[in-house]
Order: sequence, then C-alpha cells, then structure tokens
Amino acid sequence: MLSQSLGKMAEFRFLGYLGEIFGKKRVRISLESPMKLRDILEVEFPEDRSIVLINQRVGNFDSLIRNEDKVVIMPMISGG
Amino acid sequence: MKGYAGKILRVNLSDGRMSKEEIPEEMMRKFLGGRGFAAKILWDEVSGVDPLSEGNKIVFSTGPLTGLPIPSSGKMVIASKSPLTGGYGDGNIGSMAAVHLRRAGYDVLIVEGKSERPCYIAIQDEKVEILDARDIWGKMSFEAQDSLEAKHGKNVGVLVIGPGGENIVRFATVMSQRGRAGGRPGMGAVMGSKNLKAIVVRGTGEIPVFDVERLREMGKEGYGEIKGKENYDFWIRQGTMQVFEWANENNCLPTSNFREGTFRFSKRLDGYALERLKVGRKGCPLCNMQCGNIIKDAENMNAELDYENVGMLGSNIGMDDLRKVGVLNRMADEYGLDTISLGSCLGFLMEASEKKLIEARIEWGDFDACQKAIEDIVKRRGLGEIIFEGVRKASERVGGDSQDWAMHVKGLEISAYDCHACPGMALSYGTSPIGAHHKDAWVISWEVSTDRFSYSKEKVEKIIELQRLRGGLFESMTTCRLPWIEVDFGLHWYPKYLEAARGVGISQEEISELGDRIYTLIRSYWVRESRSWSRKMDYPPSRWFEEPLNQGDLKGYKLDRARYDGMLSRYYEIRGWDEDGAPQKETLEGLGLGDVVSVLGENG
Ligand code: SF4
Repeated sequence: MLSQSLGKMAEFRFLGYLGEIFGKKRVRISLESPMKLRDILEVEFPEDRSIVLINQRVGNFDSLIRNEDKVVIMPMISGG
Repeated sequence: MKGYAGKILRVNLSDGRMSKEEIPEEMMRKFLGGRGFAAKILWDEVSGVDPLSEGNKIVFSTGPLTGLPIPSSGKMVIASKSPLTGGYGDGNIGSMAAVHLRRAGYDVLIVEGKSERPCYIAIQDEKVEILDARDIWGKMSFEAQDSLEAKHGKNVGVLVIGPGGENIVRFATVMSQRGRAGGRPGMGAVMGSKNLKAIVVRGTGEIPVFDVERLREMGKEGYGEIKGKENYDFWIRQGTMQVFEWANENNCLPTSNFREGTFRFSKRLDGYALERLKVGRKGCPLCNMQCGNIIKDAENMNAELDYENVGMLGSNIGMDDLRKVGVLNRMADEYGLDTISLGSCLGFLMEASEKKLIEARIEWGDFDACQKAIEDIVKRRGLGEIIFEGVRKASERVGGDSQDWAMHVKGLEISAYDCHACPGMALSYGTSPIGAHHKDAWVISWEVSTDRFSYSKEKVEKIIELQRLRGGLFESMTTCRLPWIEVDFGLHWYPKYLEAARGVGISQEEISELGDRIYTLIRSYWVRESRSWSRKMDYPPSRWFEEPLNQGDLKGYKLDRARYDGMLSRYYEIRGWDEDGAPQKETLEGLGLGDVVSVLGENG
C-alpha cells in the first residue's frame, strides 16, 4: 500500500539556496540499506557552510541515513 | 596616519560654537574608528548626565574604510548615552552622509548642547552652519529628506529624524535615504531632545588613502568575488529574509511576544512569500549586495522588508500578511521608530491586553489597532503613553507579572531570535554592549550546527570571537559585516584593505585586542553610568527560563538559569571582568585603559 511504502522512506528537506543547488526543496527516497548522506544526494553541497540535522540531531554528510529518517539540510547563515 | 581625515568636527547647539580638532594618532591606533572612537569619546566626555539633557552628546563616527571603493563601505556609527537604556548606545547606518562626511574632511562629528529652536546642521566641506528647521519640524522622515534635497541638491548625505525622534519616543532611530535606519537605543530621541532635525553633509574632497591604486584594484576584486559567490543570487532574491524559514525550522522565530519559536502561518511571511511580492531592492551606498527588499504594501505603497522587521512586526505580534507587515514597517520608517523595539512593544501591549493588565484592547494580529497604536506612540497618548519608553518602563507601569515577559536586556528590546532553546544566543543577547541586539554575536547558526543545548565553554569562546570581529573590527573599520557573514566574502581582505588605506595593516592579535579594548571600555561605561550595576543586567528575561515552549519540535524546552549563570561567569573570566561583570584593574591596564581604573575604582 502507498501509505506503508511512504512510511518506509527517508525524507530530505533543503532550506534556502541549498534547495536551488539540489533542484528541489523536498524529496523522499526509499533506501534498501543505510547509506551515507553524501552518496544518496549525488550533488555537491558547500559542506563547511551547511548544517545537517537528522531527526533533530546534528549530523554530517558522512552520516548513515536509514528509511524513516528525517533529514534537514540548511545553510550556515548568519542572520544579519 | 593615512586613511583618516584626522579631524573631529564639534558643533555646540547651545551657543553655536564650532571647532575642528585633530584626532591623536594614538587614538587611531588604539580605537581604529567608528564604534571605537565613539566609545572613547563618550567615556571621556559624557558622564553622569541625563541622556535627554543638554549635557549629553551624540557622536557620528566613521572608520578608516568608510566611503572607500570597497564592498559595502557606506556605513557610519551613531552613538550616545542612550535614553532607552541609560547606558552606552549605538547603531550603524548606511548613508551617503557617511561618505560625504569623510569627503568633507572629517572622521567624526560630535553634536553637543541643545538648540532653542528646531534646527539642522549643514556641512559643506569647511563651511558648517546651524540652520532653521522650523519648516521641516513635524514632517515624516521621507518628506523631510525630500525637502532637504530640494534645498541643498540631491548630491548630499542626509541624516534625519521623524516625528518619533522629535517627540522623544525612547526607541526613535535616525533615518536616511527613505528607509535606512540606525541607532536602535534611541539615537533619534537624542537628536530630538537637542531640537536637531537633521544633518546635511556634502564633501567634495578626496579621502586620504595610503595606496589608492592598490585599494581600487583590491576593491574591484572584492566586488567581483562577492558576485561570484554560490549563494549570491539567492541573497539578491531574498536577502536577510532567507532567515525566516530557517528560524521557523529551528524553533527560534519570535512568536506571540517570544512565547513560542514557530509560527503557524510562517509560509505567509517567509522569503518565498516575499519573492512573490517583491518589486525592487535598495540599500546602502557602495554595496553590490543590497538587501532592502521592496514590496507594494497593503496600501499599495513601497515598503522595505528585512528579516528583523518581519519577525518582530509579523510573527511576534500574530500578523500573518506580509503586505500588512509592510505598512507597519513603512510607518515605523516614516515616523523614525525602531522596527524591532516597535514589534516588541506591540507584542507587550497585546499580551498585557490579553492578561487584562491594561484597559484598552489590542488583539494579536489586529492590523487596525496596530496602526492606531503606532500613531499613539508617536503622539504619546493612550496606549502610547504606556509604551513610548520601551517595554522595561512599560512593565513598571502595568505591573502584574509583566516584568517576566518584557522582552529586553538592559532596557533594549530583544531582536528577532527566540532563545528558549539557544543558550548561546541568550548569552550573546545578555552580553551585547548596547542591550539585547544580534549585531555583535549572532551565534545561533553555529550553535544549531554543534551542540545546541549545551552551556559549554566553547560557546562562550565562540561568542567572544564573534564579538571581537563583528562588534569590534567591523563596527570600527567601519564597513558592513554582511558580505563576510552572509555570502562568505573572505575575511582576509580586511587587513589588506586597512593596509592599503592606512599604510598599516592589522594582525589577528591586534584585532582581538582592539575588540577586547572596546568591549571593556563600553562595559566600564555601563558600570560608571548605572546607579545599581550588577550581573543581573546581563540576564535575559524570565520568560525564557520559566515558561517552556508549547509548540513545535522543541516543545518543553526552556533555559536553565544556573547553567546560564555558569556560562556568564566563564564569559567574565575570559574577559577579565569580576563576578559582577565589572572590568578588573589588571584587565584595564593590560588593554591600555589605565585612565579608566581611577574612575571605576572611585565608584567601586
Ligand atoms: S548588505 Fe545590506 S546592510 Fe549591508 S551595506 Fe549592503 S544594503 Fe546595507
């Protein structure tokens, strides 16, 4: 069923200009096994100016992502 | 030393005296310019006076990089003893007045005394006049700017106050170029108290520079680097408004007078909502990443928006329509009121109304009531009478438990970041040298990217590092920090720019020492001027310690008072201040502030 398969996906969201780099602001991906964030995204991000939150906890581009994880990638902005 | 005009222009409005004074080379070396100069001048000259009295002075101060052909250098610092906080107050403003003042041959203008009648100061190179301002007194800041340009020509720099400053609303700012604003802690009210409506300046000379060719070349390269940055295009589209989505996501968007960190209707106010309404952009002189977003507001007029004012006049007061936020912001600009403090004051009134601490009704998000309240503030009647001196004073008036949720530090209203779950940012507000403002150490991003909920020593050190750079170096050079912090323009450029301008660069150690010297001098000023200084002056409001977030992913979070106190003690330790946050003798002497010792010693 659709709802079940959706439940098994990892969700990725991109804030600010990182959404432009990725080409979308949000995507859901089904992972057969845990994978490094870097290998899932296949796009180069300015890593030293990005913040990765996985289920509200700080991660990085080498963190392993599993289905059902919620990942937010946001710029290291400076707020004026 | 090159890079400076080397002169202070002093104008006394009481007796019309004017003088031009040399700036000693030692002052340039020790304080660099801008905020550094202003802090030194106020320490030396403004002591024990009522901020709204004739004895207060207002300082317009540039730095050795101001007005040069390098990125975002059209900035100056306006400083005075603050009528909002009672301590050191300053703010920077982007204005052609900064550029013209330097071209006219002055680094600093000090205005003292008080004029009997409304007046303005007109500076054209050597010629300085105090002119009658009766025909523009009472005019909105935009209209007054137009009148002054009609009289003096468009090729001038203008600093002007609106009716807010004239009527001495304590959070009145100084305005320029129909939308630039500066001096949150009531610098506009100080001008108003002196019957000084405006300063008009035109300079036709050259700013003396050590190596013009090299500076021009490096300036060009710098502008090019900024344009080539990965996030430049996005910055041009949204400017600081990109923070809105970010702050909401991270539960630090001020909502309902800082009760919450997320807003239900955030999508109606965020950077993407802005993009749909945007009709243009404006900003400060010499900047190629101008960040003022112009929209057509709900009255079909041009209004300028950035993150701070949308946070404070939007989510913080339950206003969910960007075009209405635009109207409130335009009103603030025209009246010459600080948008951050205004948003906090309106939020305070709404909460006081909800809790029935005041008779008048003003509901969350009530646009008409907000417009009326703004007019009342400027006229100091009705609700305005309660709030025109800011939330600290208002909480003394309305009583109840309102001191717990009067959202300020040292009397200055907190800018647009909720800190229930950001201890580092709370300390940054607590130790900001003008009261709660984000300018000096915006540590939230770093905080979220590391160990957000910790009260670690690393956080304290990071705050001090940022204060040295943002609050010391940038405020004193004086250029805008946004190229560096927002689009990652290389920090390494600035020592090179200083070297080309002055013939003398600046080392890492010197940057740290400069920041520490300025911070310690400003702190000394607070201690000297406050009747009852204590470490409590560095505490954020009780709301963040006592009332947890009720909504969002971080529901239940609040700050821990004892751990905050621990961080504050660590901060004092690193700064060489005592347990009450007052600078220690050895620290003062080590920073070349020996003259401060005797004064603080006497008082202490
Ligand atoms: S980035 Fe914005 S605040 Fe800075 S100089 Fe440019 S317009 Fe002014």
